[in-house]
Amino acid sequence: MTVEAGTAVITPFADGLSYAFRAMGSPCEVRVETSDLALAARLGECVETEALRIEYKYSRYRPDSVVSQINTAQDEPICVDAETAALLDYAAQCYRLSGGKFDITSGVLRRVWRFDGSDRVPSRAQVAELLPLIGWDKVSWHNPNIQMPHGMEIDFGGFGKEYAVDSALIKARGQCDVPLLINFGGDLCVSGPRADGGRWQVAIESVDQAGAVDGRLQLSSGALTTSGDARRFLQKNGVRYSHILDPRTGWPVKNPPRSVTVAAQTCVEAGIMSTLAMLHGARAEHFLKRERLQAWFVR
Amino acid sequence: MQLRRKRQGSVSRALGILTANLLLISAADAQVNAQPGSKQFADNNDVNQSHNDTSGQANTVAVDTAVLFYQEDGGRVQAVEPTGSVVYTNNWGDAFSVKFTSDSLTGATPNGATRSTLAQTFTTPTRGVGATSTVTSASGNSVLVTGPGGVIVRQYTIAPNALPLDSGFRDNRYALDLGYTRQLDNVSKWSIGGSYSQERDYTSISVNTGYSRDLNHKNTTLSISGNFEYDRSRPYFGSPTPFAVIDGTQKGPNQTKTAISVVAGVTQVINRYWLTQFNYSAGQTSGYQNDPYRFISVVDATSGLPLQYLYEGRPRSRFRQSIYLGNKIALGPTVADVSARVYHDSWGITSYSGEIAVHIPLVAGTYVEPLARYYHQSAANFFQYYLVGGAPLPTYASSDSRLSKFNATTFGVKAGIKVLTDGELYVLGERYKQTGAAGPPNPIGILANENLFSGVSATSIVAGFRFVFK
Repeated sequence: MTVEAGTAVITPFADGLSYAFRAMGSPCEVRVETSDLALAARLGECVETEALRIEYKYSRYRPDSVVSQINTAQDEPICVDAETAALLDYAAQCYRLSGGKFDITSGVLRRVWRFDGSDRVPSRAQVAELLPLIGWDKVSWHNPNIQMPHGMEIDFGGFGKEYAVDSALIKARGQCDVPLLINFGGDLCVSGPRADGGRWQVAIESVDQAGAVDGRLQLSSGALTTSGDARRFLQKNGVRYSHILDPRTGWPVKNPPRSVTVAAQTCVEAGIMSTLAMLHGARAEHFLKRERLQAWFVR
Repeated sequence: MQLRRKRQGSVSRALGILTANLLLISAADAQVNAQPGSKQFADNNDVNQSHNDTSGQANTVAVDTAVLFYQEDGGRVQAVEPTGSVVYTNNWGDAFSVKFTSDSLTGATPNGATRSTLAQTFTTPTRGVGATSTVTSASGNSVLVTGPGGVIVRQYTIAPNALPLDSGFRDNRYALDLGYTRQLDNVSKWSIGGSYSQERDYTSISVNTGYSRDLNHKNTTLSISGNFEYDRSRPYFGSPTPFAVIDGTQKGPNQTKTAISVVAGVTQVINRYWLTQFNYSAGQTSGYQNDPYRFISVVDATSGLPLQYLYEGRPRSRFRQSIYLGNKIALGPTVADVSARVYHDSWGITSYSGEIAVHIPLVAGTYVEPLARYYHQSAANFFQYYLVGGAPLPTYASSDSRLSKFNATTFGVKAGIKVLTDGELYVLGERYKQTGAAGPPNPIGILANENLFSGVSATSIVAGFRFVFK
């Protein structure tokens, strides 16, 4: 049985219905433990609406998004709404908490770093030229007014999708208490244990072979995210460059795990902690162990 | 592999609290909340806990309209109170608020005299000066009588064993509250406000200001506020002299009182599920605090039968202090509010109260919120059920049951439903009951068989609609 609901597809799984759609460049899924098709459609639509709302509002690819408005303001201060202000406050706090490792202004590095499996590693001069345009501490942020120095950019790529998962879960739970799992391209969270009190089964996709499984996890509450460089790297003169860039140097982190899956209370936390773990390079495992978070690594 | 949560490290712990703050916006959006004004008729000894707390989402106009219906058992006070408020929050987080309240109260209030085995007749001045004809008021069972020398007085008689109630009670009150909160910078706010309320025989005007500051990544908020109030009492027939014998003559001039209060508080995010608030408040009231319409019986020292009725007298100064601890605890989508308060004043009243309210979301944007409140207070040191004939008069005395030792319980339930996208319809029903001792430990004569406690039991219903324009 497959039911089309708009562009979404509803299919049954073991104990419920799965509502699948595309948003934020990723396959997205809502698993609802119910046999009520209308309920699954309603919850799925609620989640999809929230995902699209956040994508439209914060995508850096959309010229009318809030992020584009901020980035193209040309030194003019922009007054932002409460939600954007909360996200910027959060980004500012993460910047301080991570000692500058987590930085929403680091996206300009994409201009020279393209992780397409090739050997096109940028020159030291090319990277050094961009460093003056990176650093949250150079941005003037006085809630609710933000003013970007010329040439600098922000994006919420570091936690936007995770935020959408958490926010969509809150919206869905405001509608109904039926157990559900929300998964946006591998960033997922659950509303709680399954109806029978059991745990949700989550497979970790292999970093080497799409479709193959590297491990299975069981989850009864909270969220899981995975960071990795499965197919995103550069290789030159026998050196493998990971796609994890340190905003402070503009260069890839040395020896990060190929993939790390982190469990936390919310998707945003799991996502930021897995990013921070990757930024610790060879000491990623040590970092997450010290933070006492459950994590699963592939080296 | 199974995942279990252990004690977290410093980064993830800090991140957890930050994330909870971040997601509050989504949560607030998913559940529009409203706070109806419902406690104003309850325990009246509290100093305001927080002044002028206005804030909202940026660039919105929140409109809240509600009607309160209040009914005391035994046909006593009945009130209908429509309210309307508008809060405008601009892009910078500055908020302007206006609230209008109109009360219409009718019914009967205890006049302060004890019950008795005999019928009791009370004589008061007329409420309207210059009334010339004798009339019978249908609701008040009182008559206007032309006395010796052409003085017109009002009289009413209370049946044997009935609680003496003055039925001529009717009033309208209008109140206006204005507030302005300014977001000074990312972490601090300053507010000012004022209110004016007017009854036929009472006017109150107050101004307040407050300052709050967020610390520790907004996980701690410190606040301090102050309030100044000036009240003017214009009793219908003037202000009686304390302990004067009640009669039909016009009394003394209008009276005033002033009150200053300060509240200092800390709000702390403990973890993502738990927010706690601690407040200390202190206030000084100076001036006329008597109830100009309230008597106290002087009874015969052996029979307990009434000899005369005197006007009551209270101290002109009252210093109040209270501490308050409130907690908001999230249990999944269910949110519990648990709070406790201890209060003490220079009149000798010490009170303890505890309250729990649990907000439970149901299907399709509906919720229910049961609540329970318990209140206990000790008596003011000048509270007396009656005075004894022949004994010297005390400096102060009042038989107002609100100054006696009593317990009060409130049980209620609120239910709401989201309508349109940003609106909410809600209804709140509450049952309030005071219980207290029937009299002093060794009552005199006939008073041993009378219940001298005149506390109230009341039912109130609030129906309201709240809407946020974006």
